[in-house]
Amino acid sequence: MIATLGRSARLKAASLLYSLGFFYNVLKETARFFSKSQVGYKVLILQILFTGYEALAINAIMAIAIGAAINVIGSSLLPQFGQSQLMYSILIIVITRELGPLLTAFVITARSGTAIATQLGTMVVNHEIEAYIAVGLNPISYLVVPRFIGVVVSMLVLTIYFNIFGLLGSFIVVQVIKPTPILEYLGALMSTLTVGDVASGLTKALVFGIVVSVVATYQGFSVNRASTEIPVAGIRAVGLSFILIIVADVLLTLVQYA
Amino acid sequence: MPEGDSLVPAIELRDVTASSGGFQILSGASVAFPEGLCSVVMGAAGSGKSTLLKVAAGLVVPDSGAVSVGGSDLARLTRKEELSFRATTGFVFQDAALWADTNILGNVAMPLRVHKPWMGESTIAEAARVVLHKLGYDEGMALRPAELSSGEQKLVSIARAVVNDPAVVFMDDPTSNLDEDAAEKVYELLAELKQKRRTVIIVANSSELAYRFADRLGVIKGGSMAAFGTYDETVGRAEAALSGSLARLRARGSRAAARSDGAENSQRGDV
Repeated sequence: MIATLGRSARLKAASLLYSLGFFYNVLKETARFFSKSQVGYKVLILQILFTGYEALAINAIMAIAIGAAINVIGSSLLPQFGQSQLMYSILIIVITRELGPLLTAFVITARSGTAIATQLGTMVVNHEIEAYIAVGLNPISYLVVPRFIGVVVSMLVLTIYFNIFGLLGSFIVVQVIKPTPILEYLGALMSTLTVGDVASGLTKALVFGIVVSVVATYQGFSVNRASTEIPVAGIRAVGLSFILIIVADVLLTLVQYA
Repeated sequence: MPEGDSLVPAIELRDVTASSGGFQILSGASVAFPEGLCSVVMGAAGSGKSTLLKVAAGLVVPDSGAVSVGGSDLARLTRKEELSFRATTGFVFQDAALWADTNILGNVAMPLRVHKPWMGESTIAEAARVVLHKLGYDEGMALRPAELSSGEQKLVSIARAVVNDPAVVFMDDPTSNLDEDAAEKVYELLAELKQKRRTVIIVANSSELAYRFADRLGVIKGGSMAAFGTYDETVGRAEAALSGSLARLRARGSRAAARSDGAENSQRGDV
């Protein structure tokens, strides 16, 4: 019993060390990525197109809907407490600081996290990774780093995009409940918005982007030899990313408000 | 053909053990592949041929033992040294292992794009076309690997391995999945590599390939080298312990005698 526990703990520790080593290598190769002529630029551009550009529509729809919902709820609740003026603060805090990065990370995890994990897993099974090594391409610098940078950049851009469309959704609802000139609405928003709000949201976006890309690439490479491991890698990438994103969100929120 | 013990080993494995998925595949394998010669290693399915080749090429890290390349430990090469090792080697995978998201031209051109980007894209593309044509591949360059037959994929894989004119070529069963015409093209390529004194290391099931090209013939059994030496030495030594391909090679008789017969016949034909 004790021996089994000890063996299990040793395996977990080895696995943790391996994943930390993987993360360290990703950061090291990322620092080198732009310092030389790279055949990986094409992979980076394709990743930004898939993760960022192709997710614009779904992110915009979600942001408009969330912005509208917050406004509807706030407009019915806040006047009861005589706190209608808090509407803008709530919008900024909920969308910019919390839901913008969080929901964007969930969308990216569901779309790109699974795609990256299953794509890399398939490449492992088909010996494509070995073929890259054989021609002298480091799989971390050629396959992981462009995906890492692509996901992080897309995460930051999509979060800003989510914020803009979230506040736009709120504006649409405002027009129904209490028609307000756009300049007045934007003025009120801008006077409420602080640098801290933007920095907080973007910090979370950065951390979530790192989490999603590293977890997905790591899970993709963890596929060993069987094609049946590929969907498992995708599922693990999503599950683990969700957990780590929520944990990171709580920790970052604690740091900001503690 | 250079012979004798003074040959310089291009790649040397010393007491290598390697495992995969918890199963030990190589157990104490030792072999020195001489520079400038064609070495062929044969063995039954599951004997560890492919793993031996991948360990020799630095694609699989051994659990223990050492692999040396030109006297340097492969595991201790710096990043720069490893890159120059890759620039001078090519690897043909058993199942082609083409990059599915890259077209045929991109697959074959990749080694040149990585190691000789100064050649320029049009020259690189032309070099890729030339080597593909030499191997008898006449399909489109913009096709994806999935659109090709397994034989065509194998030809593309071979083209990718030799497009950079490497000093050492590793080949895992290069004629599997090929029809006789395509296999003949590969034999022509092997003859050219031998003429250029490239180091060619092949693991194969084809006794025809071993008969025609092996300067050194090895036999792997149970994860370790049962025999490795000149063609005649190995065929002569291993017949008691081995069956299959080696027995078929032995049944074909002495290669030297066959060659001298062939020469006599061709002289008679000339008269």
